[in-house]
Amino acid sequence: MSGIVLRNIRKTYPGGPTVLHDVSMEFHPGEFIVIVGPSGCGKSTLLRLIAGLERADAGEIEIAGKRANDLAPQDRDIAMIFQNYALYPHMSVRENIAFGLELRGMPRAERNRRAEEVAHMLQLDAYLERKPAALSGGQRQRVAMGRAMARNTSTFLMDEPLSNLDNALRVAMRTEIKELHRQLGATIVYVTHDQTEALSLADRVAVMKDGHLQQFDRPEAIYDRPQNRFVASFLGVPPINFIAADRLPGWQGMQGLTAGLRPDILTVHTERPARPALEARIVLSEMTGSDLLLHCDSPAGRLTVTTPRRERMLAADPLWISYDLDRTLFFDNDSGERVDLERNVHSIFNTEE
Amino acid sequence: MKPENPILTTLSVAAGLLFLSPVLYSVWMSFQTADAFYTGKLVFTLDNYGRAVGEFNFARYLVNSLIVSGLVTVLGITVATLAAFAFARFTFRGGDLMFGATVATLMIPSHISLIPNYLTLAKAGLLDTYAGLILPAISNGFAAFFLRQYIRGIPKALDEAAYMDGATPLTVLWRIIVPLSRPAIASMALYIFITEWNNYIWPLVAVGKQDLYTLQIGLARLYKINPGEGLVDWPLVMAASTITILPVLIGFLLVERHLVRGITMGAVK
Repeated sequence: MSGIVLRNIRKTYPGGPTVLHDVSMEFHPGEFIVIVGPSGCGKSTLLRLIAGLERADAGEIEIAGKRANDLAPQDRDIAMIFQNYALYPHMSVRENIAFGLELRGMPRAERNRRAEEVAHMLQLDAYLERKPAALSGGQRQRVAMGRAMARNTSTFLMDEPLSNLDNALRVAMRTEIKELHRQLGATIVYVTHDQTEALSLADRVAVMKDGHLQQFDRPEAIYDRPQNRFVASFLGVPPINFIAADRLPGWQGMQGLTAGLRPDILTVHTERPARPALEARIVLSEMTGSDLLLHCDSPAGRLTVTTPRRERMLAADPLWISYDLDRTLFFDNDSGERVDLERNVHSIFNTEE
Repeated sequence: MKPENPILTTLSVAAGLLFLSPVLYSVWMSFQTADAFYTGKLVFTLDNYGRAVGEFNFARYLVNSLIVSGLVTVLGITVATLAAFAFARFTFRGGDLMFGATVATLMIPSHISLIPNYLTLAKAGLLDTYAGLILPAISNGFAAFFLRQYIRGIPKALDEAAYMDGATPLTVLWRIIVPLSRPAIASMALYIFITEWNNYIWPLVAVGKQDLYTLQIGLARLYKINPGEGLVDWPLVMAASTITILPVLIGFLLVERHLVRGITMGAVK
């Protein structure tokens, strides 16, 4: 079991911008870490630095308690799954899976047995002699996982491993990866730009933007207590609503703050409720299955609300939108950082009621 | 496939025969006796081959040509592949300059390097040796350039996956890059082989001993020594020519499929 420590990592590509600015993180053995962020945020570079495929300009990488900056990829006891799988096209599935074992000098019979074992775990038994070109996308993805698993390493790096799969397969593979993590007990560092993957897979999520680490915490904490406006807006579907805090009922005069209201903390009323609420009109409604997604215009601006399906709601005009004060987020307009107003909020709210 | 168009077929066959006719004619001529040939009679004989191989030493020349062209091909393709891999995959100080210089060698006519090469080999005492015939030919700028372009088309993630699997750079080259570049390497190998097989000037300059003559030199000498008492013994010369072109023809037929694929490979990815 190995933990990974990143200390003040900086990376600039020659002639390019700085892609990582003093990034520090610590991954504990056996953790499932997801690094998430928009494209160009430095998440893949970070993964490649851990893998040893790139060198950091400054900072320290520690793997299993030892400085790893100068270790070659093959000496780091790390397996990696690439975005495009990078299967060797001239080798069969068996050879692909066993290649790493062969390079480490494992006898043929033993590595064949190991390849079969891994293939069985991933339901690839029937495809062992096929070349990658004769496999479907999902099967190729599995071979890539098998290749990484065969070596019994303590750490897996995954670079957007599901991004080339269609939606249904992606959801299925997500469950499989989570299950594999439970079985193998290995440390997984997983890079994605998909926030659903981040929240559903991770023990802890690292959110990155422009080469800076924005927040590194449990998914619940990231969702409920985002560090800043960017983190709040990047995670959560449908996206969070931002309105000027002084436009929120009960908050007049609250200058310099933006309120963040997730669609699921808003409640729709057809009659004016007793609690502070915004008057609104439906602009657009989307059926998402069990729920309705309402896009409403209010004096404070456009709001998106998730609400259980009730037909009469669609006819209401105007309707009223109240909010869960405990879960309302406030951000400083200048810095974008979240401001903890909880105590004040309650006192104000109570006097209002 | 479309049904065959009889006009096109006839034209293709005619064109093929036209291109082949000098070869067919010389092969046919090589089976005649000289006397019969000049008097217009036709007598089939294998004597010309016997004389070319025995009396005029063509067996030896054939072996020399095979040794020289074979080793130039093996060594040349090895050097070119190593250089191409380095140029395609590694950034190092002066790398771009070196690649530029390699490409620039394509613009230098081979005859310009004739004298410098001769003087270098003379100083090293390698004239009149196999090494003298082989060494100047093993650095091939075109092959390095061609293979570098080809290797750049192979996704770098494959190298990286292999490094993660525990490979060293040479393992990556041997186990990943070379197998995936086989069509390009086969094309270049054939190209180098044919170029060296047909090389006339350098063996002429570098070798004086008859034991080291290659087929091309032997052929030229055969023509000059004029064994036909005042007349050139054309059937003999044609037998020697046939011996000269046959190995290349066989090699080409063996690798032709790869060759065509290799040459068009760069065009459409």
